[in-house]
Amino acid sequence: MQRFAILCDGTCDLQEGFQKQYDIRVIPGHIVLPDKSDIPGPLTWDRFPRDAFYADLKKNPNGYSTAPANVEEFRIAMEEIVKDGTPLLVMTISGGISGTYGFACTAANLVKETYPDADIRCVDSLRFGPGFGLMAVYASMLREEGKTMEEVADWIEANKNRFHQAGWLDDLSFVAKKGRLTNAKAFFGTLAGIKPIGEFDYNGLTTVIGKAKGAKAAYAALLNYIENTIENPSEQIIFIAQTSRFPQAEKYKELIEERFHPKAIFINDVFPSCGINIGPGLMAAYYIGKPISKDLGEERAIIEKALASEK
Amino acid sequence: MAVKRINGIELEQMLRNGLANLRASEDEINRLNVFPVPDGDTGTNMVKTLEHGLSLAERSGDVNVFTKSLASGMLLGARGNSGVILSQFFYGFSQALSRALLIGPGELRNALVRGYRVAYGAVMKPVEGTILSVAREGIEHIRSQITRGSSIDFILSAYVAEMRKTLILTPEMLPVLKDAGVVDSGATGFILIFEGMVKYLNGEVLKDSAQRTEPKNDDPDLSLFNEDSVFVDGYCMEFILQRMNGSAYEQDFRLKAFTGALDRLGDSIVCVQDGKRVKVHIHTKAPSVIIELAQRYGEFLTFKLENMQIQHNERDRIVKPAVHKPLSVVAVVNGAGMRKLFEGLGADCVIDADATMNTSAQEFVSAFDSLDADEIVVLPNNKNIILAAEQAASLVPEKHVTVLPSRSFAEGYYAIAMDIPDEKDLEKRIRGMRSGIDNIVTLRETTASRDYTYHEIRCRRGEDIAFLGGELVCVERDWKAAILGALAMIEDIDDRETGIVLRGAGVSVSDEEALSEAIAGQYPMLELEFVDAGQEIYHWEIGIM
Repeated sequence: MQRFAILCDGTCDLQEGFQKQYDIRVIPGHIVLPDKSDIPGPLTWDRFPRDAFYADLKKNPNGYSTAPANVEEFRIAMEEIVKDGTPLLVMTISGGISGTYGFACTAANLVKETYPDADIRCVDSLRFGPGFGLMAVYASMLREEGKTMEEVADWIEANKNRFHQAGWLDDLSFVAKKGRLTNAKAFFGTLAGIKPIGEFDYNGLTTVIGKAKGAKAAYAALLNYIENTIENPSEQIIFIAQTSRFPQAEKYKELIEERFHPKAIFINDVFPSCGINIGPGLMAAYYIGKPISKDLGEERAIIEKALASEK
Repeated sequence: MAVKRINGIELEQMLRNGLANLRASEDEINRLNVFPVPDGDTGTNMVKTLEHGLSLAERSGDVNVFTKSLASGMLLGARGNSGVILSQFFYGFSQALSRALLIGPGELRNALVRGYRVAYGAVMKPVEGTILSVAREGIEHIRSQITRGSSIDFILSAYVAEMRKTLILTPEMLPVLKDAGVVDSGATGFILIFEGMVKYLNGEVLKDSAQRTEPKNDDPDLSLFNEDSVFVDGYCMEFILQRMNGSAYEQDFRLKAFTGALDRLGDSIVCVQDGKRVKVHIHTKAPSVIIELAQRYGEFLTFKLENMQIQHNERDRIVKPAVHKPLSVVAVVNGAGMRKLFEGLGADCVIDADATMNTSAQEFVSAFDSLDADEIVVLPNNKNIILAAEQAASLVPEKHVTVLPSRSFAEGYYAIAMDIPDEKDLEKRIRGMRSGIDNIVTLRETTASRDYTYHEIRCRRGEDIAFLGGELVCVERDWKAAILGALAMIEDIDDRETGIVLRGAGVSVSDEEALSEAIAGQYPMLELEFVDAGQEIYHWEIGIM
């Protein structure tokens, strides 16, 4: 059985170390800078130091924009992999917030015109950023267990709704403006210390399911929330993502380690392709747990209870 | 003169005399404020409440017709706590008279008893030493003396006399009055109304100074003009120019030539000369040119310049039909920045009250009427208007109004900031907002408007004073020191993480920077969000979470 390749679009936020460790290839999207130059979305901070990037983004939120890799770029990247007969699993950012999945499918069809035997399967992750990256890592681990591409793709389809986000976004204006938040219009305004708790909804959009008064209350409620939604924490890899909230992420990591003893836990960066659409203020953990309910009703109830118990 | 019975029209005349009597002391009552902050408004609130009731009362010889409409008007027009209690008193008064065509001694006694009882019932935690006490003691002390033969003037005179006795005791009942060295303002106003009624019966008809127009807030709504506005209407400029002697000024002034020059700079020109004074009105986009032109001949005695675009935009403000929402929020604010803050967080109706924050029940009812929502949440943002909001809510039960008892802008801010607008369970949303108010400490700072002693604390007029949760806690010669002093008194300040700082009208950005630095120096872990709110009275209002 030939080992299959995994190709993710650049919004998976997997830095080079993870890409190498888990043998995941990444096709970058585009970012447009304030000077209008169009560059491939980096997954390193070589060109933009992290803090400077987020500081500038906060000052100039409309100066930056993003675009996915186009069909032709996908075609070239896919052909490069499949031309020697390697099966290819393509994973993309949620179709609920980007057209990337459609581009990938179109490109796969084009590739098959040239390589009719090419074995390509495209999967919509229904996630973005580190939630998507974590899913790719799990796909890679299943591959290492000897699962076939079809088996891994089927596992993703069956389990992608179990990838949770438990964290806060203390500035909702970016996600709201860029359409990554449900009912975005409702969430503008100054939030002096209030921490909106965000979870992925069924379509991969971040949804505010509760609000905590201050970081302390938020940490406590989030740990409680994870406890009520996670499954087998000791066997899990947990990602923590942050945008300009590194100290808070470090504290969150410690608290999660102490309480859940996961197999591994990493603080991940959110690179510009996602960062431009999230903005500064994200601090969240990503893990596998119980399936997320369709209207997030169960998750809202859990967080409300968790917040109430912290008073 | 012994009056045995009165009809509706006589009662109305008596009450109008009562209103005139109250109004004559309105400012004095306003000054009976327990704090040295110029926000006392009890007199004004009571005047407005009674005035509103009388303006809507149906003139009728039948007492029940008159009192029913009077009470309903007062309930709607009630402003402030004292206004609400007054309106509730008259509501009870009218209930007791619901079948009465005339008022005799028995009816009057019953109405005065019912009045105070209903007023007590309307207040969640009745406080002695207020209107409630004088209204109760006034009638309870004389009710056994009232017989079928008692005259109306005798009953009311005795009622007023008893109430005056109780008024003197109010500082003993309510320590805060004693500390401030005042009697209760609401009780004083209440007595004045009845005293005016007695005066009427004694033939002393008072001239209501009032038709003295209330100081109207004609301030333009500055939010109607911003950096993106189109400026086409220019300025309305009015001035009186004093033509001056001396070589610095041109002496050869000719009205026709001057008017001609103005004509090229604007329109709607009125230019009148009276000796060496010239009165000018003009609409122009070039005020500086006109100023220069006028100063060639003299100096301004008066000068007024208004941006007419604001008035235009006010006229153009389209009243959009309300969009249906599951839940709408009504918030009372003070200041353009504050309005923006609450609107930014999703408030559907923002009532911009003036400095004294005396929003009436009627204003709340109008706000509710302007909304199309399954549930309405009210954030009064001041302890003195919670009752008026609750009264308004009870007048329109079909609107499903919940009044969240936010006592400060900071509490109201945290309430609305905790809302989750896309949550479908409305009760949960209301619970979330209510939880926003919990455990917020509100610190306010301003300048003392008079010398004052409260408990162990003394301040002199002009000193900087800081309040915590409505209690005066710190007096300093420096405003930053007053704020830091008050912050230090918050018991768990070191455990608190964050807060919002609302900058008042007339406070500069550099003061904001200075305060930010001062607080950061003392409390480096406390994260504060500064907002140019524009409230009056208090220079700073800080909500610590």
